[in-house]
Amino acid sequence: MAYFKDADEVYSYIGKLFEDLAQDEELAPKFQKANTVVQYQYSDPESTITVKLLEGEEGEVDLGETSLEPEVVMTMDADTAHRFWLGKVNVTVALARGQMKAKGPVAKILKLVPLVKPVFPRYRQMLQDAGREDLLEAA
Amino acid sequence: MEAAPAVLGGAQLTGFKDFFQYLAPTRVVAGRELLGSTGFEFQKEGAARVFLVTDEVVRSTGLVERVEAGVADGGLVVAGVFDGVPQDSSTDVVEVCAAAATEAGADSFLAVGGGSVMDTAKVAAAVFSHGGSALELEGIYLMPREREGVGRPLAMAPLACIPTTAGTGSEVSMAAVIKDPTRKVKLEIVDFPLFPRLAILDPESTRTLPPSVAAATGMDAMTHAIESYVSVDSSPLQDARALHALRLIRDNLERAVENGPEDEEARGQMLVAASLAITISLGSVHAMSHPAGAHFGVPHGVANAIHLPHVIRFNAEGGHDIANRYRDIAELLGAVPAGADPEVGELLASHVTELVDRLGLPTRLSHAGVPEDGIPALVEGAMGDGATLLNPREPAEGDYERLFRAAL
Repeated sequence: MAYFKDADEVYSYIGKLFEDLAQDEELAPKFQKANTVVQYQYSDPESTITVKLLEGEEGEVDLGETSLEPEVVMTMDADTAHRFWLGKVNVTVALARGQMKAKGPVAKILKLVPLVKPVFPRYRQMLQDAGREDLLEAA
Repeated sequence: MEAAPAVLGGAQLTGFKDFFQYLAPTRVVAGRELLGSTGFEFQKEGAARVFLVTDEVVRSTGLVERVEAGVADGGLVVAGVFDGVPQDSSTDVVEVCAAAATEAGADSFLAVGGGSVMDTAKVAAAVFSHGGSALELEGIYLMPREREGVGRPLAMAPLACIPTTAGTGSEVSMAAVIKDPTRKVKLEIVDFPLFPRLAILDPESTRTLPPSVAAATGMDAMTHAIESYVSVDSSPLQDARALHALRLIRDNLERAVENGPEDEEARGQMLVAASLAITISLGSVHAMSHPAGAHFGVPHGVANAIHLPHVIRFNAEGGHDIANRYRDIAELLGAVPAGADPEVGELLASHVTELVDRLGLPTRLSHAGVPEDGIPALVEGAMGDGATLLNPREPAEGDYERLFRAAL
């Protein structure tokens, strides 16, 4: 059974994490160095998060429909995304196995991977604060 | 409690790995006087009307004519020849090439050339087979598949490669890199169908290769072997290939450069070494060399030769597991006595630098035209390169800056 029951749950946790990061004074400028627009297309449940990471511009996170035009599209199931933000997914293995698929100039996204490590405890804390230990235990 | 996060791969260099994947489906035919039987071999892969892809330099040597004769001798038809591949190919070139193949009524592709020619032929074959544009194929494992993208990859037109350099290994790899001139980025396509069906390794095809290019491309092969052996994405099956590639390089690279094309033995063994060494699991040497080529035009093999010793020193200080992997290499190359326990990174790095010097290649970036004020752009490029994620020791921006300064 999938960890998230519907798209709204994906947006409430993973989407909220992206929104928080876009406002983070320390991390947001580092992520914006990617200078791209990334769309995360999740399955099971179907959900879409689009993130604008453009240098010198305000960050933007769209949950669901968007008018942003993505340059990079990352496709995976929502469970894999959840496990990624808990620090339990090796990106290179996930790409090799096809659990994550990356379309577009992938290097722009890969350069962000080393930056995300400090975010893992934040995601874990967010779930704990929301009383969603079930999501922590399931993964 | 689960193990520590392994998002960056984690250098699992010993024991049974949590995961690895290995595939080598290209049929390799190697030997002397094989060009005349190109058609005989390629017909076994389903080719009938062959579209030959090459560049003007290779064509001017007469090699293409001999290959064409070999195609015809096997009863196949040369449907057309495209010799418009530049040194640094692009999406435009690929699409012109694919359209020309369609126009010629071809059913298969034959690349005769170096990395740029082979990568152009790979992507052109994909566009020819599936339609659309090169840009639509960009990414990792994103070529068309059965079962709405999750099943078996759809077959491509048969592709054969005859490499004219011994280094890139593209003739047996599933990757292709070409420029996207609109976005001014390198477009990378990685997927199983890009493995050529056939590679023909005949030292005659490297006869016109100048010694300096033989040296640089040979160092590219050596870098593939060394980086793959210490990569977080290494596999026991690729390890075996890498170590044998290094034996062949140890015994043949200098001969192939010094003696030139007359030393068919060394030139042939270097072709085999390059095909053994190639993998998509590399590391920081490649992460540093890609921007050096993109920003300052440093030839890829030269950039690898310059960066390799510095990355060895950096990585070898990253832990015993990494140092022990370098020890295997150092012992094989004769850089350290067997069983010795000195600073293996330093000794191996010095060994490589001395080899590069003997080969007549530059050992410093400044000698290859890189200015000091270019370092920030190089650092940014290296940090954003996917190969960084596969390096056994995680480099920070400051590390890359120190490495580039040391290499300058």
